[in-house]
Amino acid sequence: MPKTALKPFLKYVGRRFFFLILTYFVAITIIFILPRAIPGNPLSQLLSRIAVQGAANPETISNVQKSLMEEFGVGKPIIVQYLSFLGRLFRGDLGTSINFYPKKCLDVLAPFIPWTLFLLIPATLTAWIIGNTLGAVAGNKRGTWMDNLVLNTSLVISQIPYYWLGMLLIYTFSVKLGIFPTQGGYAQGLLPSFSFKFITSVLYHYVLPFLSIVIAAIGGWAIGTRLLVIYELDADYTIFAVNLGMRDRTVFKYVFRNILLPQITGLALNLGSALGGALITELIFNYPGTGYILFRALSTLDYPLIQAIFVILIVAIYFANFIVDFVYAIVDPRIRLGQGEGS
Amino acid sequence: MWKAMIRPLFKSPKFIVGMTIFLLIVLMAIFGPILYPKDPTSFAGMPEQPPSKEYPLGTDTYGGDLLAKVLNGTRSSLYVGFLVAIISMSIGLLVGIFSAMKGGIVDELLMSFTNIVLTIPSILLAILIASYLRIRSLEVIAVILGILSWPWFARAIRAQLMSLINREYVYLSRLAGYGDFRLAIEDLIPAIATYTFMAFILFINGGILGEAGLSLIGLGPTKGVTLGVVLQWAVLMEAVRRGLWWWFIPPGLVIVLLTSSLLIITTAMDEVFNPKLRER
Repeated sequence: MPKTALKPFLKYVGRRFFFLILTYFVAITIIFILPRAIPGNPLSQLLSRIAVQGAANPETISNVQKSLMEEFGVGKPIIVQYLSFLGRLFRGDLGTSINFYPKKCLDVLAPFIPWTLFLLIPATLTAWIIGNTLGAVAGNKRGTWMDNLVLNTSLVISQIPYYWLGMLLIYTFSVKLGIFPTQGGYAQGLLPSFSFKFITSVLYHYVLPFLSIVIAAIGGWAIGTRLLVIYELDADYTIFAVNLGMRDRTVFKYVFRNILLPQITGLALNLGSALGGALITELIFNYPGTGYILFRALSTLDYPLIQAIFVILIVAIYFANFIVDFVYAIVDPRIRLGQGEGS
Repeated sequence: MWKAMIRPLFKSPKFIVGMTIFLLIVLMAIFGPILYPKDPTSFAGMPEQPPSKEYPLGTDTYGGDLLAKVLNGTRSSLYVGFLVAIISMSIGLLVGIFSAMKGGIVDELLMSFTNIVLTIPSILLAILIASYLRIRSLEVIAVILGILSWPWFARAIRAQLMSLINREYVYLSRLAGYGDFRLAIEDLIPAIATYTFMAFILFINGGILGEAGLSLIGLGPTKGVTLGVVLQWAVLMEAVRRGLWWWFIPPGLVIVLLTSSLLIITTAMDEVFNPKLRER
């Protein structure tokens, strides 16, 4: 095992870190600008709507209005608004929810976020592993019945939206066959705890949403990996290895290692859309995750809560992105050993 | 040239299958609402009826005719898909070509911008933008999705052009005094045409799926029926748990058939035109 070169590794990771921070800054700025730039100013509409409702419950409403005015900095110059927005974010203050007034957005969201992570991360990784394996095997046995089977099914499956597959699974396994629960994250009446009963209930409710994400995501990975394997099998080093008389399995091992790199990058880029799909899947299953609370926030136009959800989700995605970059840097010998560029 | 391009395509069973399904759906979208001229938004009859002679796909909770909804929905979804594809393709081509031809600082700035847009999760941003708009037409939805989905294409186009620009024939054109514009039109664009066409198809897919996703979360078009809107109401009215299969299966099925037929077409084209993938 050659010695790991620390400097290029740190340089790579540092560069990625800087890029993600910069991108996050842009994302935050977009989140700040949007409500102020969109014609018809949704914010003032929201305020006037609250003012109308004020007749019913003057006390709370005027409190809500006051906190909104203050948090959005209504009436102050835009640059002051922006700086105070950033300042509050930096201190971890994501504003006050309208629906759940006077609760802070972060406190409202906190119980929902683990559910989404618990659903999304294992499902995405499982799909990534299965899809890559299937695609690699298919590409390696190109032109056989197995390749055709994997490719043709993947072409259709990869286009099934998570949520529609979820609907089909609920209809088949819950409504028709009655094997799995139709909705929720755990049985009604149970309180979240670390008891055996609660955990089994959670796992039981987990099966269908998990499967709908895994199955729908496998196809895309399989198609991509299959193509990469076909390209690699055509590369000079492979042909050289085959002509040297290396066993097919050994050659395949090298090929597989090479296709993993772009697929790791792919995983990072895919996380955003996977999250989007998972949010809607949660909605279909009435799963108590971020998608569920986002839907509620959207239907009541609770803008502070909506903003907070996005600030957090984007941070989560970038954090995951950074972990993937880190893994990439460890796996890629060009970065690990400091040979070549490897960008 | 034409023969060499088109004929091998029709030897690919994949291409024929994909094209047939796609054309059938397009025909259905164009002529369906004319041949079956029921109003998709009006009250047609008894609510929540299973498919029958009178209502081939049944009715929903408000007594709306679901066949009329699916036919009109397919039309609107395809329309959104095409618009998204046109918008993203134009931006992607513009950024990609400009970046590759200008090089230097322009290239660096454009590519940083592209990478930033690529890294910001586009679905989340689309949801956020849509949430601030009170009235959302089909076109607005298409613009939101279109301005967010071009980066991967711009990067691919730039990479392809970079390798083209260093070829001899492009160099000779430069020596012959071609300006940037003429160079782009005569030498570069033909070389990236098939790839662009394939990307266009994938953008249509992205548009159709993106619209459906936005609609399901309640942020779809506020006017008009799309496949996503039909699905959204099926979810809101608990059609799945109440076993009203005729409500949520057909619109989803059309989406999957439409997008997978398009994906099959691009895969088949790739197999025919990409020398690395040609069967030996």
